[in-house]
Amino acid sequence: MSKRAVDAVFQGLFLLTDIRGVLRDTVPHHTLSPEQKDEARKTIGKLEKQITILKEELLA
Amino acid sequence: MNCGEGIDTRQIDELYINLDPIQAGGRLTTDAMKAVLAYGDGYSVCDHCTKPFRLDHIAKPPLAEFHTDLASFLNMDIARLVPGARRGFQAVADTLVKPDDPVLLTAYSHYTEFMAVEQARGTPFEIPANDSHIITPDAAAERIEEVIRTTGKTPALLFVEQVDYQYGNQHPVTDIIQVAHQYDIPVLCNGAYTVGIMEVDGKKLGADFLVGSGHKSMAAPAPSGVLATTSEWADKVFRTTGIKGDLTGRTFGVKEVEMMGCTLMGVTSVGMMASFPHVKSRVREFDSQVRHVNRIVDALLTIEGTKVLSEYPRKHTLTRMNTTESFDLVAKTHKKRGFFLTSALRERGIVGILAGSTRVWKFNSYGVTEEQAGYVADSFVEIAQQEELPCLIH
Repeated sequence: MSKRAVDAVFQGLFLLTDIRGVLRDTVPHHTLSPEQKDEARKTIGKLEKQITILKEELLA
Repeated sequence: MNCGEGIDTRQIDELYINLDPIQAGGRLTTDAMKAVLAYGDGYSVCDHCTKPFRLDHIAKPPLAEFHTDLASFLNMDIARLVPGARRGFQAVADTLVKPDDPVLLTAYSHYTEFMAVEQARGTPFEIPANDSHIITPDAAAERIEEVIRTTGKTPALLFVEQVDYQYGNQHPVTDIIQVAHQYDIPVLCNGAYTVGIMEVDGKKLGADFLVGSGHKSMAAPAPSGVLATTSEWADKVFRTTGIKGDLTGRTFGVKEVEMMGCTLMGVTSVGMMASFPHVKSRVREFDSQVRHVNRIVDALLTIEGTKVLSEYPRKHTLTRMNTTESFDLVAKTHKKRGFFLTSALRERGIVGILAGSTRVWKFNSYGVTEEQAGYVADSFVEIAQQEELPCLIH
């Protein structure tokens, strides 16, 4: 059992959901404000960490 | 992109400003979307279901607390989750209405309110609206008197919509309920377009039953809703089972008959619960949503011949327009005929108005930002100008 991988999957899905939320908030042009860009940058960074965890847990 | 064999991935709300009359208030919060991911499995809230084995007693996830919070949010004594407002109507009608009992509804009652009456074998009587499309307490009183006179019975129940689905008008529910109570008629207030959108105080309204829709106005997955009542009626509508198997002698604990035991057992209840903190907060900001819809309507009214059929200035975001003398004139000669308007809106990233509508149509701007409201307003005027419809200065 890899609880770490499972957590990473959900964390990743939740982070993607946050990005989905930004896409919804900014329809139809998806022009992000500086604050939204900052937030999106942080979210994508966190998402990359979760992908790293998944690689470590499942592919190593 | 598919999310299952033959099932398109729906991306409407990620790509467009969605003005669909019934979808706006049910759009999920991101927390609800996360809950959907974690609680999609069928009986997923039942992992920690212990005695007395009922949804409103489950502590993990905190459904017991959610039920109490919901009642308090609506200022009612007790609340239950139901699979859509219609199941709330059904539970109340089934409890109160006996065959051939007269039941009052309004000219704007939802079809499921009628069907709840039909299922209980009651007889419906509608309270008419006035010329401004408002149900008045006087009209209610007149109809009650008429029904008593002609049937010899006092109506068993009165349904009234706080905001109706046809015009999005706010009706004087408190006064109507006062009239009904003078005749000892219990009242179900249909808050499908208000609960979760604007502040609703059940006790202040005087409602015996208050029904809300999760998927219409509480940012929840479908089918979900809430039925709340007072302590006076709770024992009746939420009565527990007394049935016993004749061979096995089995009994069924504290399951509530009208709820058919447990109601929302997974993604619906948890999605609704996840959105609830946001819903509690957003109802306090309804004024800004009203400003946004009025901005859009004001812009539409600059297009010569355009009329708003709902009460104006708007008090709710669901709005009915008549563009027979504006956009429909274009439709008569346009190569896309009646589809030109929704097509032009789609090109601008706006959807939700019934395709092909150019005469009488509805929209619901609930949830748009100030910037999006301005964009929608400008888009309507721009389309009109492009089609050479005369417009006042906008």
